[in-house]
Amino acid sequence: MIPDLLFLAFSAGILLGATLVIAARNPMVGVMGMILTFLNAAGLFILFGAEFLGLLTIMVYVGAIAVMFLFVLMTIDIDYIKLKEGFAPYLPAGLLVVALLAAELILAAAHSPAQLTPVVVVGQGPQPQNVVALGQVLFTTYALPFQIAGFILLTAMVGAIVLTHRPRNDVKRQNVTAQVLRKREDAMVLTRPKTGAGATAKHWNPKSVAKKVKA
Amino acid sequence: MAEYFPILLFAAIAVAIAIAMSAIPWLVNRPRYGKAKMSAYESGFEAFDTARRTFDVRFYLVAILFIVFDLEVAFLFPWAMVIKEISWFGFWSMMAFLAVLTIGFIYEWKKGALEWE
Repeated sequence: MIPDLLFLAFSAGILLGATLVIAARNPMVGVMGMILTFLNAAGLFILFGAEFLGLLTIMVYVGAIAVMFLFVLMTIDIDYIKLKEGFAPYLPAGLLVVALLAAELILAAAHSPAQLTPVVVVGQGPQPQNVVALGQVLFTTYALPFQIAGFILLTAMVGAIVLTHRPRNDVKRQNVTAQVLRKREDAMVLTRPKTGAGATAKHWNPKSVAKKVKA
Repeated sequence: MAEYFPILLFAAIAVAIAIAMSAIPWLVNRPRYGKAKMSAYESGFEAFDTARRTFDVRFYLVAILFIVFDLEVAFLFPWAMVIKEISWFGFWSMMAFLAVLTIGFIYEWKKGALEWE
């Protein structure tokens, strides 16, 4: 009974969040709706006993991916009102896609052998923690997909750097190594001008300046 | 999953309080916006520009790099739980995974992607 109600509550939360994502005028509100969807999905995961996946959903999706979406929204310069203007011409095509998907779902539901069953919370009685159960197969049986995931992450990292990293040369920055390695001769010379003759710039020829003149 | 019930209760109370705190003022005293209310107060400055300025794209780079290492840590959790049971193959499987990501880490360090400038 209570699991059924919780399932309904989380599902309603997911639907509400997903509706916000596509319907909100302000895309920031849309991202908040997405976070609501993620949180409710995490709730469903935990309800079905996949507590590690649920907490990971909060950590990775809410903590990192939603933040990245916010950054993307703040980075691009788009007039959001203009973006919504071309809504009507695309409406028939969109409705067609929705109708197809709905038809597929209804057909699949009609032909599925399983009937509606009450929500069963797994996790009754002693059983291995699912983080342990996951670890026992992820690094041995599924070692290859795991390594491929590593390469995909590497690709994402390299791709992000190649696409967005622009080193700026116009910024003056501190070079600690150069500062520490600086010697007295690089910066100053001692001269012994005659009394009354004054010190002139003709003695000024330290190493750092001499190098620059050569180049 | 009974041990999650206090968390659920906590979340429900938090949501209820948040909804109440935004709903009660709206019900008791609805905001009435007017020209005088929306303008700058007394001798305050008029707004120079919109507050919705675009951000530098480097924030996106920081977010992507964070996601990559966030996922790396996510894979470390189950590994740490079963490290005594999964034999040397499982151990070196994770080491190879970490090595691949370390290559990326060295690349981004050398590229200066971690420098803020």
